[in-house]
Amino acid sequence: MKITRRTFIQGMGAVAGASSLPFSLPTIAQAADRAENAAKMAAANPRTTVKSTCVHCVNFCGIEAQMEGGVIRAIYPDKARAAYYNWGICPKGASGVFNTYNPYRVKKPLKRTNPNKGMHEDPKWVEISWEEAFQTITDRLNKIKADNPSKLVWHHGHGKYTIGDQFPKAFAAAFGTPNLVHRTTTCEAARHVADENTWGGHGILPDLEYTQLYLSFGSNPFEGEQWSRWLDHAIIEGKERGMKMIVIEPRFSHAAAKADEWIPIRPGKDAVFILALCKQLIDNKTIDSEFLTTYTNAPQLVGDDGRLLKVDGKPQVWDEASKSAKAYDDPSAKAALTGSFDVAGKTYRTAFQVFYDSLKDITPEYAEEVSGVPAARTRSLAKEIADAAKIGSTMVLDGHPIRYRPVASYTFRGLSAKEFGVQNNRASLILNMLIGSPDAVGGLLLEHAMGHPEYLEPSKCEYPPKRADLAKSVYYPHATHECCQQVQYTVNDPKAYGLPYQPEMQIFFATNRPFSTSDAIKQQDGMKKTFNVVIDIVNTETCQFADIVLPDLTYLESWHFSPTRSTPGTKHTAIRQALTNVYNIPYDAMTILWELAKRLGIRDAYVDNLNKQWGLKETTFQKGRDYTSKEMVEVIWKDKTKKPFEYALEHAFVGKMVSVHDRYLHSVEAACKGPGKPRIKLYADHLVDTYANVEKTVKANNITNINLDQFKVAYSPIPIKEHAFPTPHREAKDYPLYLITHKRMYRNQAGNTAQNPILNALGNDTAENFIAVNAETAKGLGIRDGDTVVVESRVGKAKGRAKLTQGIRPDTIAVSYHHGHWSLGFPDYAKKGTWINQVLELHPDRIAGMNSFNDTKVKLYKA
Amino acid sequence: MAKFVRVIDTQRCFGCRSCVAACAVENHFTPDSPWNTMVEYEAGTYPNVARNFVTMNCMHCEHPSCKAACDAIGVHAISKNEFGVVLIDYDKCIGCQYCSTTCPYGVPQYNAEIKQLYPGQEKTPYEAIPAAERSPLHRKKAKTVEKCTFCWHKLEKAVVAGKMDQIGKVPEYTPTCDLVCPVQARIFGDIDDPTSPVSAYIAKKHATQLKKEFGTQPQVYYVLNGGDY
Repeated sequence: MKITRRTFIQGMGAVAGASSLPFSLPTIAQAADRAENAAKMAAANPRTTVKSTCVHCVNFCGIEAQMEGGVIRAIYPDKARAAYYNWGICPKGASGVFNTYNPYRVKKPLKRTNPNKGMHEDPKWVEISWEEAFQTITDRLNKIKADNPSKLVWHHGHGKYTIGDQFPKAFAAAFGTPNLVHRTTTCEAARHVADENTWGGHGILPDLEYTQLYLSFGSNPFEGEQWSRWLDHAIIEGKERGMKMIVIEPRFSHAAAKADEWIPIRPGKDAVFILALCKQLIDNKTIDSEFLTTYTNAPQLVGDDGRLLKVDGKPQVWDEASKSAKAYDDPSAKAALTGSFDVAGKTYRTAFQVFYDSLKDITPEYAEEVSGVPAARTRSLAKEIADAAKIGSTMVLDGHPIRYRPVASYTFRGLSAKEFGVQNNRASLILNMLIGSPDAVGGLLLEHAMGHPEYLEPSKCEYPPKRADLAKSVYYPHATHECCQQVQYTVNDPKAYGLPYQPEMQIFFATNRPFSTSDAIKQQDGMKKTFNVVIDIVNTETCQFADIVLPDLTYLESWHFSPTRSTPGTKHTAIRQALTNVYNIPYDAMTILWELAKRLGIRDAYVDNLNKQWGLKETTFQKGRDYTSKEMVEVIWKDKTKKPFEYALEHAFVGKMVSVHDRYLHSVEAACKGPGKPRIKLYADHLVDTYANVEKTVKANNITNINLDQFKVAYSPIPIKEHAFPTPHREAKDYPLYLITHKRMYRNQAGNTAQNPILNALGNDTAENFIAVNAETAKGLGIRDGDTVVVESRVGKAKGRAKLTQGIRPDTIAVSYHHGHWSLGFPDYAKKGTWINQVLELHPDRIAGMNSFNDTKVKLYKA
Repeated sequence: MAKFVRVIDTQRCFGCRSCVAACAVENHFTPDSPWNTMVEYEAGTYPNVARNFVTMNCMHCEHPSCKAACDAIGVHAISKNEFGVVLIDYDKCIGCQYCSTTCPYGVPQYNAEIKQLYPGQEKTPYEAIPAAERSPLHRKKAKTVEKCTFCWHKLEKAVVAGKMDQIGKVPEYTPTCDLVCPVQARIFGDIDDPTSPVSAYIAKKHATQLKKEFGTQPQVYYVLNGGDY
């Protein structure tokens, strides 16, 4: 349209009303000229938009890519996704253009020519053809398959989220190796395992739309990732509505900055503080007894051996009416919550009594001594929790009367990334149970309670282990999530763990174990013993130990049936679609797997397993043909949504609202109440049996590298004060300061955001990290802001720049992840800062196999 | 008359710097010359600590001191258009930096050299977009000053298309920094329209302006998170 003064004024009509001319004629002339230029430019380089899903982290935000002539010009949030998940995107998502436009990416397959592997050794890469790469890999895989397929270990981390772990799982199954290892034990596995061993499923979310008091134990959606693009918005909205947020953590994080109160707890001591709160609630008689007797095993009778009294396999309770023991689900029983009773000449206490008795010495004063939280605050907080919890009340939603308990105690890695991660999480779950918040309006929502009742059984403590990560073996009996940091120790010395074979080949897909684990340098010995293949977009620390590196496509260049995050009120299904292929890389991880399966002659088995893994029913993968990545995604989309693929290409997602029934009534209410239904385990009795199996297995096999005393402490059926004293706290006597780690908003985890020039320029503090130290403490150590300092633990040291702050406990220092990269494949500007992982002591949680990150004690001094 | 303003709610802002990143990407960021910055500061003594997150782009003042200085020396590189947007013409700018010095908010950024995003490497397709295909506001020039434009290259399109009522509402016609905020801490719109979301927000949340004492009358309002900046 030619812009004239008249058409311009007509266009302005919507604002000011055509009849009144708001501008002088010269102004209109200028504006018309400018507008004409703008119109010309818009026509020359029209902007088009393509919807997709971001995969920098595990939020899976809806995005709308802005394209100009085939160039990705910018990334916006997809506003249509806001009703179901993210209102905006984070700085990583906003600068995602440069995750793709990155000249430092791996563009061609690489082969090492220097046989020596080491963190400072130049692999002396040569580029090879895809044909040579596939041939080399397939030759080795064929030999391994013929010999013992278990000798292949497949690792992934972020790769699970870029293509779905269904693909590697299907491949591993078709190949015949049990060794598929995801990264959850460097993430939050202990929280999941705590859930599993308490209520037979995992996944919790606070019902923030209605919460009035939100207790966040080191969960940090304002700097970390998990569910954070919902949590952040929901918390801010909640605050404006009057919700009170209390953040309990040693460091004044961005979460603490937005909270009503920051309780600076001593690292690792949360269990004692939480147990002290529990004792206060019980002593004040402000607990939800009805919830405890109806939905949990609190009233079940426990013998002196720590086991439940069972008759015909059913746990018993004490019926106050008949003064006798009855089956826990006998509707005629009026179960006693507290007390000690005689049954057939033996004494039994209720599980709740056992729990309460264990709290005898966990007074607010004791909690103050251990955790640093003032006794008065523990007392007053217990009262606040009780007031806010509205025990006994209901709210009617959609005609359903639902328990209303608008208090939630929540965590992510805060309680989890520890030697006693499972027990610390169980303490928080018990706190929630005492006030009846599970599946209550405003409380803590549990995802599909009792979906996996097998989690509540004792572990068989397998020995010898079948898996290199020792998951579910005697070493990590309830590790339902693969123990990623363990693999290299086992590979380095299989006999030490009873593994009956020597792994020979490891494939690392989008994961960076030698960088991201604790005591990380020890990951290297095992990696030197195997033939390693890496599939990734950048040349990471894992590549330093690789024999072959295969380039992957980035999330803006590839197709995927994307995972999504649900919220209490919404669910959605999404895809990710390819916008470009900057370096003309012909394969992505999905087609690499497909090609390997084909060359190994296991394509048909792969297809069968894919259909099984994805749970495809009507539209399935067919044998006898190949698929492009786009075609693979189309199959899954069609089966899961029953919608045409064109819909996916246009909208990228389809969402739905969760009904009130599904939100509050499908889980605990449906599965943990009434006759024949199991109960939530406040008292995890099966852990007593697991310990007995551990003891038996250790003695029968003369295992020398399991400390039974430590296992006994770890396997307590209830959290106890010992769970606030991880190994470094007990042993590292000459190391006065606690060291904790944390995330930052400007990078994601351990890999591919360090090179992003936008993220490195968001301020003068984003290209590197710092050692946060309390200003008074620093003064005492003669350390000034910006000084180079050394952080030293029993296992390693690292240098960095001190940043003095009031926002951390005087006895604690904090260093973030993400920085201090040392891969020779990274440019120098992406390697600034401190690599803290070499300093962190590793003492995996003995229940979950969770890598400990936040228990270390250190010395700090000027360099 | 339409007068564009922005409201930044620092009670909601949690310091993610997504708006900083989004502005950089939208506006052909050149290293060392950000158009949007985050000022974070800590107050108090352990354990009574507070932290504020305050972002600043250009205030697009009603009486911009940058324009006054530029006009006073006869260069006239800075204009304020009829919608209140203050813009720099890189072709006229002589790089004297009087505007940088006089701005109370430290907004104008002098670009000594147009550096590549990945120094020493091939240009990305994004950087390779030729000048002729870019908005004049994105044709960066060494030894000139640059600053936030309220994404005028986007607002202008709304004007052309006769869709001014959609400014601040649809992504196409909203400054990108205001689009990306995960917690809706930023709103953009027409303060001359008493029914607009910005007008309502300013009143409801008692928004104010920073450094009012300089008298430039910024068109960016702030909801302050206690205390003063």
